[in-house]
Amino acid sequence: MNELLESLTRCVERGKVNSKSPYPPDLKGQDGADEFARKAIDAGIPPQEILSNGLIIGMQRVGERFRNKEIFVPDVLMAAKAMAAAMGHLKPFFQSDILKHKGTIVIGTVLGDLHDIGKKLVSMVIEGAGWEVVDLGTDVSPEKFLKAVDEHPGCVVGLSALLTTTMVNMESTVKHVKAKHPNVKVIIGGAPVTEEFALKIGADGYSSDPQGAVEFLNSRCTPN
Amino acid sequence: MPESSSLDVVMFSPSAEALGVDRDLVVADLGYRNGEAPDMVWELVDDLLPQLPAHVEIRCGFRILPSGSIDVGDDSFTANGMQFSTGPIIASQLKRSTSLALFVSTVGLQMERWSAQLMAEGDMMKGFLVDALASEVVERASVWLEQRVVDHIAPRGWKITNRYSPGYCDWAVSEQQKLFSLLPHQFCGITLTASSLMVPIKSLSGIIGLGPDVKRGAFQCSICDLKDCYRRRDDPGPAKEKA
Ligand code: B1M
Repeated sequence: MNELLESLTRCVERGKVNSKSPYPPDLKGQDGADEFARKAIDAGIPPQEILSNGLIIGMQRVGERFRNKEIFVPDVLMAAKAMAAAMGHLKPFFQSDILKHKGTIVIGTVLGDLHDIGKKLVSMVIEGAGWEVVDLGTDVSPEKFLKAVDEHPGCVVGLSALLTTTMVNMESTVKHVKAKHPNVKVIIGGAPVTEEFALKIGADGYSSDPQGAVEFLNSRCTPN
Repeated sequence: MPESSSLDVVMFSPSAEALGVDRDLVVADLGYRNGEAPDMVWELVDDLLPQLPAHVEIRCGFRILPSGSIDVGDDSFTANGMQFSTGPIIASQLKRSTSLALFVSTVGLQMERWSAQLMAEGDMMKGFLVDALASEVVERASVWLEQRVVDHIAPRGWKITNRYSPGYCDWAVSEQQKLFSLLPHQFCGITLTASSLMVPIKSLSGIIGLGPDVKRGAFQCSICDLKDCYRRRDDPGPAKEKA
């Protein structure tokens, strides 16, 4: 693989943002995702390759290591920051349609629930996998989810909840969205949520962690 | 000084310093074991800890139910004529209790505003660590409060069980509605939403069994059925229970 792309992968995986960033200490003073992304573009590497063969691979490793409890939330946050620094350079390519997201996910914490961080973390990892994320925030009503689905044709819906008392509102959301858009796929997650519950309420997928959500999106929600 | 009333209700506003918030525990609760967190995490936690007093509004308190007013069954207990379906695990721990302390603790709204503001400014890391600190402070407040319960009931010759919260094991979160109905209105500034979510978010509620013949176990993870919890501690270790 191209050396620049390997460096990009490593920077995302290790959360090395730019040359000024003191973290991680063993890479202090060295270039980070920011510089390597610029260099890769300048070297003429196609943006799609930078994204798919550099950045996304790095973030995938982060998601897997987080799932295996080898790294924890702060490490994921640093990786997401490095990813964002590199993505800044790719933004113009998205705007000019040279680069395309794999798809869009409309995500939110369901009605009655104010928990934000778990859902934010899931959003970051999904974004790092090449998806566009529309984050509706917390305490999101079924009507608000439906409106967002109307506005983003072909999107996937992601629901998060942290308590059993709010988890029940996932069911009404799934029903409300699917009544109008039966083909829209819905994935759910959050501490008390289970696969069994997902099946029961008619959701299409469940994941206990961010990487599982990415795997669901990549395998079940892309055209090819 | 605690505020007291004729209902045998006591409320406190301890300072963050009084609770002894432990940096090692904050970091361990992020998932890192044996202190193996990145230096940056330690540095940020050390930077944020002294800022806590300016952001916390800790309030905690309890109500002691009259002696003999509770009846514990195999999977529930009755207090003030109200049945609480705790499930068998918690009910078995409450056996021999002749009374209960109903408690709440909170760090207040300021902490979540601080965390949200940091995140909105783009500093996800600090925002997340403030959130983690807030969880730790409310835990510490509950541990601190347990000791206040011990002191309060000692003259009666009573002891305490561990504390148990609606939402654990088979005890439904929605039973917080009943719990709160036995406490003064907006006790410690906490309100309960229709979906039984406490506001402020960094709040805890629960009960502690009381009586001359009850005892407190060493640690709690063993009775919890959330087997995949990232905070799970399988070894008995020091008695630092987690919400
Ligand atoms: C779309 O696809 C997807 C896919 C994956 C998705 C997804 C969507 N959304 C989330 N995910 C997943 O990926 C994310 C990243 O890994 C994860 O998101 P999380 O949001 O889960 O993860 C965060 C990044 C970190 N996780 C957390 O911050 C939660 C950790 C645990 C230990 C926890 C904590 C820390 C706390 N709590 Co409590 N707390 C627990 C939690 C047990 C656990 N191990 O999860 C849980 C959630 N709490 C519980 C309870 C009961 C409660 N808590 C309470 C209080 C607290 C603290 C304040 C002490 C503290 C902070 C809470 C907070 N939210 O800020 C109370 C409620 C507070 C309130 N305001 O009403 C109280 C009700 C207890 C009480 N009676 O006082 C339990 C809920 C069970 C239930 N029956 O609903 C619980 C599972 C613990 C348990 N042992 O059973 C995954 O869930």
